[in-house]
Amino acid sequence: MLRDLRRALSRERVRYGAADRTLFAHDASVFEGGLSGPICFPESTAEVQDIMRIAMQHERSVVPRGAGTGLTGGAIPLGAPIVVAMTKMDTILEVDIANGVAWVEPGVVNLDLTRSLSELGFNFAPDPSSQQVCTIGGNVANNAGGPHCLAYGVTDAHVLAIEVVLSSGDVVTLGSVRGESLGLDLRGAFVGSEGTLGIATKIAVRLSKNPPAVRTLLLSFSSMRDAAQTVSDVVAAGIVPAAMEVMDREITNAVENYVGAGYPRDAAAVLLAEVEGLEGGVEIDSQRIVEVAQSNNAKSIHRAESEAERALLWKGRKTAFGAIAQIKPDYYLHDSVVPRSKLADVLESIYEIGARHDLMVMNVFHAGDGNLHPILLYDGRIAGELERVHAAGAEIVRACLAVGGVLSGEHGIGVEKQPYMEEQFSSDDLDHQERLRRSFDPMCRVNPGKVLPEGHSCADIQALRSIPTGVWG
Amino acid sequence: MTGPIDLLLDPEALNGCVQCGLCLPHCPTYRVTGEEALSPRGRIKLMREVQDHGAPVTKDVLRSFETCVQCRGCESACPSAVPFGHLIEQTRASLVREGISRSALMRIALKALEFPRLLRLGTAFLSIANRMKLIPKQLGLPARLPVRQPAIPSTGQDVFLFTGCVMDAWQRDVHAAGARVLEAAGFGVTPTNELVPCCGALHAHAGLSDDARRLAEKAIRGLSGDDRPILVDSAGCGASMKDFGRMLDTEEAKAFSERVFDIGEWLANHLDRLPEVAPLDLSVAIQDPCHLRHVQRVHETTRAALSPFVSTLIELDDDGLCCGAGGAFMVLEPAMAGSIRDRKCASIERSGADVIASANPGCSMHLADAGVKMMHPMELIDRAIAAARA
Ligand SMILES: Cc1cc2nc3c(=O)[nH]c(=O)nc-3n(C[C@H](O)[C@H](O)[C@H](O)COP(=O)(O)OP(=O)(O)OC[C@H]3O[C@@H](n4cnc5c(N)ncnc54)[C@H](O)[C@@H]3O)c2cc1C
Ligand code: SF4
Ligand code: SF4
Repeated sequence: MLRDLRRALSRERVRYGAADRTLFAHDASVFEGGLSGPICFPESTAEVQDIMRIAMQHERSVVPRGAGTGLTGGAIPLGAPIVVAMTKMDTILEVDIANGVAWVEPGVVNLDLTRSLSELGFNFAPDPSSQQVCTIGGNVANNAGGPHCLAYGVTDAHVLAIEVVLSSGDVVTLGSVRGESLGLDLRGAFVGSEGTLGIATKIAVRLSKNPPAVRTLLLSFSSMRDAAQTVSDVVAAGIVPAAMEVMDREITNAVENYVGAGYPRDAAAVLLAEVEGLEGGVEIDSQRIVEVAQSNNAKSIHRAESEAERALLWKGRKTAFGAIAQIKPDYYLHDSVVPRSKLADVLESIYEIGARHDLMVMNVFHAGDGNLHPILLYDGRIAGELERVHAAGAEIVRACLAVGGVLSGEHGIGVEKQPYMEEQFSSDDLDHQERLRRSFDPMCRVNPGKVLPEGHSCADIQALRSIPTGVWG
Repeated sequence: MTGPIDLLLDPEALNGCVQCGLCLPHCPTYRVTGEEALSPRGRIKLMREVQDHGAPVTKDVLRSFETCVQCRGCESACPSAVPFGHLIEQTRASLVREGISRSALMRIALKALEFPRLLRLGTAFLSIANRMKLIPKQLGLPARLPVRQPAIPSTGQDVFLFTGCVMDAWQRDVHAAGARVLEAAGFGVTPTNELVPCCGALHAHAGLSDDARRLAEKAIRGLSGDDRPILVDSAGCGASMKDFGRMLDTEEAKAFSERVFDIGEWLANHLDRLPEVAPLDLSVAIQDPCHLRHVQRVHETTRAALSPFVSTLIELDDDGLCCGAGGAFMVLEPAMAGSIRDRKCASIERSGADVIASANPGCSMHLADAGVKMMHPMELIDRAIAAARA
């Protein structure tokens, strides 16, 4: 198989050394997949087709991978599959401003795309906090969100068409750049499929126009409840900010240590709110947000005075997860969505669950759409800590589901949330999802063992072997 | 392949990495290859595998460690403040100790840096050979090396100007420009010349930590008994001398490091002493040397010092990504250094600047070799002052 792959690509672009196989055992989550099989770096759709065909001949599965910033283990190898790393397919193929569309390869980095469009006055709207590194392919697969998706919608709303290599090696184009596609919306099925339906090799994205005016507000509160209430009241007042992000005191301090953007260190919670649009409108909206905050006992109100200050504030918010190691070496991040009106209550129970398990909990989240990211801190070197983290995590997920929340806001299911799928979906729901999957990939060779829980996935058909890492050579 | 070796890395520093990947786009080798093994996150993970899990140092592991440019772009991008620079230096030092790194060979080459006269003689020889096209191009030597230049004269006792090793042999005109600018600001300059033959930066990067310490001690002795500021016009040397305090961990070394300033940093703090002259009619883009931007973190001062002297200052659009020079890197990894430079050249092209200003000799040489018009910020300021006097 290695020989076939190397013949199809090249020697250097198919790696099989122990070092690489260990590196590709992870993404940015706590999950380990064991050693991977060969790692391929294709440079064209045709090469991806070759890889698929060779994998099928040798009855091996494949796992697509972008930048490996996923937080649910979506790109980790189960059963030593071929890893198809898309990072070398990183060309922006065509930008069509007149029609507001760009065709890109899946390995294009999210922020690179937006940067290259900025001269033209456009951007790619989904802006996950990892946007400086994650790939458009990974965004599509996980239907990624980001702070500014509150106003503009998540990735799904910004993807028009996708060229996909199926497990058979065939190439299909799902969706259409001319808007509505005829027939079933299979593009919609692919977005968020976490690499289980095939490998995206080209993506047509919708371009958004840069807003003429932006106002950024930094509000601080003496209690998390006041901050959460402000968020809820702003939306209830009919204002649609571009973004509303909340951070609690601990994470704000870690972030401030890194960026020095002027985040207040003593507030129980800070709210970063941004409004975009025409000059007159943003002025009115930001004034109204300030009023809502004041009626919820805001401790301080600050407007970003320059583009540089605004950029620094956002840099802080967007690097928040990375800053955690200043406090503890490991973290486990959750991602669930609750109704906005329940935010304050759920947050209180999350802190309480953490305390009960003797764990430090931090919260930094996309407040505007009720998307929580409770973070449990631990030190993996201390025996028993990770077990406590998992126990507390399970309680947190259930607390969110109990108030009518859902399992994932944006990070996807991967291997992390699999066990909870049966709590969210009925058995019939899951069977139908599996049938959809099989119509794309009858043998379940693409990214097996992810998303659908055992019993509703055909993952078991190929006895997922797991080779522990550390076995070198 | 080797048996298990201890890299002697600080476990806390190593554990600081949460594998978030936010550093990846700031790493030049990841940018041009898209390979995890050639990314900071990958390198840290491999350090852990070797140190904590006894994994052998295979060819691939060595490649991962040896292809690091040591630009430390990952370090200023890391929200967890992982001290990557120290980790990779220590890793290389451990590999040298185990005799499994080509750094062992470099020791011989770097020995020459300690003998300025030898270096100048060699330079004259190389220069002639180069002009006769006897030196292979991929060695990355600058197109025109000077055959002979007059030494920098001492003009007073206010500040030291660090002249160093390679730079003094190859780019003495930059020192001369820096000295004239300092004089124009009313500072009498003492060049360090034979007092400090070499700061040891390249030795430290190569993992030759014993040599690096020895040279650091020699530098401190050479300039002791005095508290004059030590001004440096090479970002790499400045970064290394500012690190003596940490490296040697003595009061004397710490006091020495406190005296070290980048020449642009110094001038930015004394702008009022520089003459007011008409700016040069040039659009200049600044190429921040990594060791100024990511290590010393004083790159803003280059802008402050330079902006009164040129009509237009432009920022490149690549977030300060490394140019691929990396001291000895451009000689040891010419292919990778070339691909990284291609990215930088594309950004330079987009900027439309007439001249690129870089405060590091290595970057200047590397980029000039690709046909980019390079000048040191001091040369630009010097020229503006000279034009006003003419
Ligand atoms: C610091 C940090 C902040 C984050 N913030 C956010 C955030 O605000 N919002 C958010 O939504 N997520 C966030 N994430 C999670 C993650 O960045 C996103 O899910 C991102 O979309 C993953 O992209 P990637 O290129 O890293 O993909 P990977 O992690 O490599 O892969 C993710 C999934 O996509 C599949 N995949 C990748 N490429 C393809 C392809 N070409 N075809 C088919 N399947 C493919 C993989 O198999 C895997 O299942 C964050 C992560 C970090 C570390
Ligand atoms: S070095 Fe820092 S930025 Fe890079 S992966 Fe580790 S924690 Fe994240
Ligand atoms: S020092 Fe530079 S080349 Fe080395 S890992 Fe960090 S960013 Fe990459």
